[in-house]
Amino acid sequence: MTEPLLKIENLRIELALRSGQAPVIDDLSLELNAGETLSFVGESGCGKSMTALAIMGLLPEKVGSIAQGRILFQGNDMAQMNSSQLRAIRGNEISMIFQEPMTSLNPVYTVGEQIAEVLRRHKGMNKRDAWKRAIELLDAVRIPNAKARISDYPHQMSGGQRQRVMIAIALACSPKILIADEPTTALDVTVQAQIFDLLRDLGRETGTAIILITHDMGAVAEMADRMVVMYAGRKAEYGPVAPVISHPRHPYTKGLISCVPHLLAELTEERPDLTEVPGIVPSLDSFGVDACLFASRCYLADDKCRSKRPPEIVFGDQSSACWKADQI
Amino acid sequence: MTALLNVQNLSVRFPIKRRWGQTSWLYAVDDVSFEVQRGETLAIVGESGSGKTTAALGVARLVANSGGTVGLGGSDFLALEGEALRKARAKVQVIFQDPYSSLNPRLRAEAIVREPMDSLGTLPVAERPARVAELFKQVGLRPEQMKLFPHQFSGGQRQRIGIARALATNPELIICDEAVSALDVAVQAQILNLLRRLQRELGLTYLFISHDLGVVQHMSDHIAVMYMGKIVEHADRLSLFNDPRHPYTKALLSAVPSVDQKRKVERMLIPGDPPDPLNPPAGCRFASRCPLVEDACRAAQPPLDAVAADHKVACIKA
Ligand SMILES: Nc1ncnc2c1ncn2[C@@H]1O[C@H](COP(=O)(O)OP(=O)(O)OP(=O)(O)O)[C@@H](O)[C@H]1O
Ligand SMILES: Nc1ncnc2c1ncn2[C@@H]1O[C@H](COP(=O)(O)OP(=O)(O)OP(=O)(O)O)[C@@H](O)[C@H]1O
Ligand code: SF4
Ligand SMILES: [Mg+2]
Ligand SMILES: [Mg+2]
Repeated sequence: MTEPLLKIENLRIELALRSGQAPVIDDLSLELNAGETLSFVGESGCGKSMTALAIMGLLPEKVGSIAQGRILFQGNDMAQMNSSQLRAIRGNEISMIFQEPMTSLNPVYTVGEQIAEVLRRHKGMNKRDAWKRAIELLDAVRIPNAKARISDYPHQMSGGQRQRVMIAIALACSPKILIADEPTTALDVTVQAQIFDLLRDLGRETGTAIILITHDMGAVAEMADRMVVMYAGRKAEYGPVAPVISHPRHPYTKGLISCVPHLLAELTEERPDLTEVPGIVPSLDSFGVDACLFASRCYLADDKCRSKRPPEIVFGDQSSACWKADQI
Repeated sequence: MTALLNVQNLSVRFPIKRRWGQTSWLYAVDDVSFEVQRGETLAIVGESGSGKTTAALGVARLVANSGGTVGLGGSDFLALEGEALRKARAKVQVIFQDPYSSLNPRLRAEAIVREPMDSLGTLPVAERPARVAELFKQVGLRPEQMKLFPHQFSGGQRQRIGIARALATNPELIICDEAVSALDVAVQAQILNLLRRLQRELGLTYLFISHDLGVVQHMSDHIAVMYMGKIVEHADRLSLFNDPRHPYTKALLSAVPSVDQKRKVERMLIPGDPPDPLNPPAGCRFASRCPLVEDACRAAQPPLDAVAADHKVACIKA
């Protein structure tokens, strides 16, 4: 086995709250291999973006900090790096695209200027080379007539085109890891399909590993090789996508899959009610307690669940942090 | 069955200021006709900007129409005035996407739910508090929560308040415009189940707008697919999902990723973006992106014709 590209070990990230420190990420371990797509799923507030920001070395200053654990990128611990070392990795080796492409692009510069700027800063290219490369990148993200569109301002492009420009910027330095945080949430399904196809092809062609953050199980099924289900800052379930979806080992994963009306291959008149997972994600203050944080919403919960944090139970290459994992 | 809602040739246009003081018209909804049977759900789907919200607002008289009629339970809704209009307005309510911004933050939940009764005068004043309590129960909120302010509720609970408010005047037609889109999937399931239960219990009719085709498949009886202000396909649930005929509908359905392993549809990518809505093409509006396009498509707008019982398509190749 070759060393994974990225290895997170027992990561704990604490946020400063008025009521004290809260572990927004609590004992998270995972691996990302070159060329694969790993998906983070979970409800709002479960810590998906926070994990991504930690990998980028972009935790909110003065509020969030790494309290424990290691983030090993090609064997080097990013948790120990200073800001200039992190900056050298960020944008070059690991880059990120965000949910809302309009707010991440600068409205007063053309998209070409913005892509070229990244190339000049990170790659030290001269103006002309950077511009030429920018056109190639726009072409690579399938913006038709890239030569002309490169002089457009962001507002002259559609949402899908802007997101493609963001991908072009993220790819400008041929990163080893691309983190996509809900990259298609604001887009139409037809455009989402284009972006997903693009990401998949780029991953295949360049060997870039992708971390895809989403709440859409369908997207996970179609896009990812492996997945991490996060709940309240903890890893609930982890494993290859197909077995996790066909046989989830955590009640939360099971709930996430069955509460959504998925498009069916053969539709019939029958329409049973959707499975309900009652309640909501607990608030940050209670993230640290020694118990299963899902217990208040879980149909299997008993006293043990409410008083002791479940360990990670392994089933082949799948794992679940649930006391009753073998009963599911 | 009788149609509760009968929309004929509805058009809504917006003035768009151009340079040198010129005005062009944007036809957000262009000559659209459909019916919704009492107790049923018609879903409207289509990409962003296709006119779904505008069509719904046109039906509810929340935006001025530029042509067409809206029949509501036999009366001509757009022609009503005064007391008759007030009565009819109580029969049509809207639930919006954003449970955060659509509730007045300074009012307690009970006042929010009561507000439509006050403004439309649908119930004697003395009976209103009891009705509010009943509505809270109906949507699964606890009585003590009546005294709380919107920020003290979760997103799903806020959407329940929105639903209670929409139910306050005993409406017949409820327009749900992306009513669950802002919610987490677990909460979304609760709200969708609630909407279906209320429909069964109260015989409600829904006009259900959503961009999530899985949700639409679960909620609808009929579906209208819109593209650039026009309905391009209209069918019952089974026909639309099992036998889509319009190339746009096919592309739309093929784009949806699903966990259903059996669902292996060939992805049909549609290139490019929709044309400028201020300069719609003369013929079929989908022609510029359609894989099946031929000259005749660009010559004239294809009419929305029946291809089977309960199934209409606006495509000459369907
Ligand atoms: N800058 C911040 N200061 C304080 N708390 C924060 C900050 N950013 C995020 N949080 C909190 O940290 C928790 C995890 O947030 P995170 O953004 O990682 O969630 P997420 O899983 O990405 O959710 P979503 O699906 O809504 O994007 C949440 O409770 C959130 O409120
Ligand atoms: N008040 C307005 N003034 C001018 N143009 C408008 C107005 N409201 C909507 N439009 C335009 O009308 C068209 C239809 O908009 P509408 O909001 O109905 O689309 P939609 O299908 O609901 O889209 P979405 O899925 O994004 O909500 C769009 O081109 C939009 O820009
Ligand atoms: S540990 Fe207990 S409460 Fe937690 S998910 Fe498993 S069964 Fe449910
Ligand atoms: Mg997030
Ligand atoms: Mg809309």
